[in-house]
Amino acid sequence: MNPSYQMRLLLVLASIVVLAAGGLLFKKLLVPKSFGVYGPYRADAIEEEMLVPVRHGTNESCFDCHKYEAKTHKKGRHQTISCEFCHGTFADHVDNNKKIATLPVKKEKEITTLCLKCHNTEIKARSEEVIKTVAMPDHLKVQNVKLTHNCNQCHHVHAPLKYINRAKEITGLMEAGL
Amino acid sequence: MDVAHGSTAALISSYVFPNDLHVHWSMMIVLYPYITGLVDGAFIIAALYYLFDVKSLKPVAKFSLLFAFAFLFWATIPLLLHLGRPERNLNMLLTPSPSSAMAGFGYIYAVSMGVLVFIVLFVYRPQLVELRATSKGYLQLLYRALTFDSIDLSEKAIALDGKIIKFLVGIGIPIAAVLHGYVGFIFGGVKANPTWSTPLMPVIFLFSACVSGISAIILAYIVIRKIKGRSIDHGCIRTCVKTLTLFFILAFTFEMLEVFSHSYLKSGYHHMVEGLLNGPLANSFWLWQVKLGSVLPLAILGVMGLIKLKDTLYSSLAAIVSAILLIQVLIMRWNVVIGGQLMSKSARGYTEFHPEWFDKEGILAVIAVMALPFITLFILSKIFPFWSQSNTSKAK
Amino acid sequence: MKILEPSPNLDRRSFIKKVLNGTIAGSLYLAFPIGGNTLDLPEQIPGIKGKPYDIQNQEFAFIVDITRCIGCGSCCVADKREYNVPDGNYRTWVERYVKGFSDEIYVDSPNGGLDGYQTPRDDINEEVRDTFFVPKLCNMCKEAPCVQVCPVGATFTSPDGFVPVDEKRCVGCAYCIQACPYSVRFLHPETKVADKCTWCYHRIRKGLLPACVQVCPTHARKFGSMKDETSEIYKILKGPGVLTVLKKEMGTFPALYYKGARREVI
Repeated sequence: MNPSYQMRLLLVLASIVVLAAGGLLFKKLLVPKSFGVYGPYRADAIEEEMLVPVRHGTNESCFDCHKYEAKTHKKGRHQTISCEFCHGTFADHVDNNKKIATLPVKKEKEITTLCLKCHNTEIKARSEEVIKTVAMPDHLKVQNVKLTHNCNQCHHVHAPLKYINRAKEITGLMEAGL
Repeated sequence: MDVAHGSTAALISSYVFPNDLHVHWSMMIVLYPYITGLVDGAFIIAALYYLFDVKSLKPVAKFSLLFAFAFLFWATIPLLLHLGRPERNLNMLLTPSPSSAMAGFGYIYAVSMGVLVFIVLFVYRPQLVELRATSKGYLQLLYRALTFDSIDLSEKAIALDGKIIKFLVGIGIPIAAVLHGYVGFIFGGVKANPTWSTPLMPVIFLFSACVSGISAIILAYIVIRKIKGRSIDHGCIRTCVKTLTLFFILAFTFEMLEVFSHSYLKSGYHHMVEGLLNGPLANSFWLWQVKLGSVLPLAILGVMGLIKLKDTLYSSLAAIVSAILLIQVLIMRWNVVIGGQLMSKSARGYTEFHPEWFDKEGILAVIAVMALPFITLFILSKIFPFWSQSNTSKAK
Repeated sequence: MKILEPSPNLDRRSFIKKVLNGTIAGSLYLAFPIGGNTLDLPEQIPGIKGKPYDIQNQEFAFIVDITRCIGCGSCCVADKREYNVPDGNYRTWVERYVKGFSDEIYVDSPNGGLDGYQTPRDDINEEVRDTFFVPKLCNMCKEAPCVQVCPVGATFTSPDGFVPVDEKRCVGCAYCIQACPYSVRFLHPETKVADKCTWCYHRIRKGLLPACVQVCPTHARKFGSMKDETSEIYKILKGPGVLTVLKKEMGTFPALYYKGARREVI
């Protein structure tokens, strides 16, 4: 069979159409099943986003075991601070109801640095209504305290005014309204 | 909206968003519009001959088709090198998002490749049939495939070929316009970037694409013919240069209109654009793109258009202007793509771009990607003769 | 099974430890609520935990109160830890704005605010008029430009109004990163796909607050459902008072609102 030139061209055109149809079939097979359920995207992706592991708990998850710290923390000025900010994430500590590691506890100079992240007056953007700020080392000088002192030598880290208020009660400053 | 005033204050108050420090669209994204631009410009030359019967362009018509093909063939490479996950590139074909300009790439590219391949095959058919008769072995097999295994060169067949060519070139022009225009729209449609978001962006891209393509054809024609020791058709060069001048005036006008109207309107984030063009991009834009890359060639083209020059001088100037314009278009793409990303979306600072040598989007990669089409062109020259029989006279 | 370290007041636990041994203790642990399971926590967003989730009928909003932000960086630290965000990329960050009397605005964000702000700026040579901190995160735009430009449908607006990134579909073209007017997106250096703040969708679906909202000590970040008329979010959004959004002229209609933001915030 010797098709004429015109026939050959028609054959070429036909094969292009067949290829295109094949392409469409290919596309149907390869597009993920959940595509188009809600819109032009893979609906399964929403479910997959939910599977991201939760690493932070809430303070309640810490308090469930650490009842002693819970009592102090809940009554103190720092009750809005997340345990995990200073100590690390819940997922690093507990997995499947089992403790998998000990979380770090800040010590000495680390504590002062951490406190000043929020309480440094030099950063003027901290409104007095929201947070009490101090300037260092002025605060130590005003309180007549050695300049090498760390914050937690006077302030309980979980309840910063606990000892301060107790000291004021003992010395009568509280009654005097100071 | 309070903004930074003065140069020293700008330095102190400069602020770049933390995620804006890195330039994401690097040199490969500068190359991709450049390559598709060359394709478009070369195609314009071919279209002028095959559709609009501009007879003086006959010497370069076939060559410009092959040139366009050689560059279009490699157009996906810069994109694949840029993608974070190139192995997923089929996603663009499988689930193209209807609202995204970039999603059009897969289908637009496939259609333009198809159309260009068939234009080349039909235009070259008579010569390929002749070559089939005189070649042997695998080359003959190739020629048979390329000519649909037909040796029919009757008047009817040639007439049919002519109609098909006209039809394909006819639809090829809008397809080529979309092939490069959509890239301009990819930039033009980003409202978050003040240099990019303008309705003029596809227009600027298209006109400068034509400039680069026509310049490439002029330069390639002159260089290849000189190397082979063959003559140059000066009439052809003159027509090419006239077309080039027209497109270049349009491209330059729109480029400058964009800059000056923003500078005059002083709306939105214009201060960032001005800060960019007068700051980090001062040299690249004003010196290289505008003064040396645009005003100088305009002057030369003006001389060439207004003063009657001898053929050899004219063609030499044509080669020089084409070389300058090829570089200018590349610099313009650089200034738009990379320059546009130097502005932080904080409207308060600029970041820096440092090209790497050995990155997958680095300088060596760029050189390799630009070399590939020329290697392809060389291989193509062994299969498809660049110049027709009447055009192979020796240089005088 | 490793026994958790006892604290002074754990009568119930010490009883179990003394009286019962390993395996029986194991089964009884299931009966008594033992701390450490987040799914047993009191829910922070009412109406989600344990109930069927109507994905088509949700409307969440996020409010950032700039007057309460103290620039401590807890939110940035929590976010980095929740998602192991690689260095140099930020899902959320806090900026410091300083206004001088010359109306000059000085903005900075050292390390995205991860270390908080421990020292004032020493390079400002004029008197300071006003300062404030501005937390930034994904605006979860109702008409998101990132969704519009994604070529493969890897980022999209879910029926409940979130804009996640489909990690399996993204090709890493970075178009969405160019399109976001707020610069909240980045290319993950390891997975090479786009990434951004997701308002902790995986936590919200469990009835927990986003990590950054939860750790904020001054309650500057607020999150809630507009479908819950008792929520703080509803009361603020429906009440009087000025709430602004960023780059309103872009027409993105963010679901992230700012309370107390000055006009200099971009």
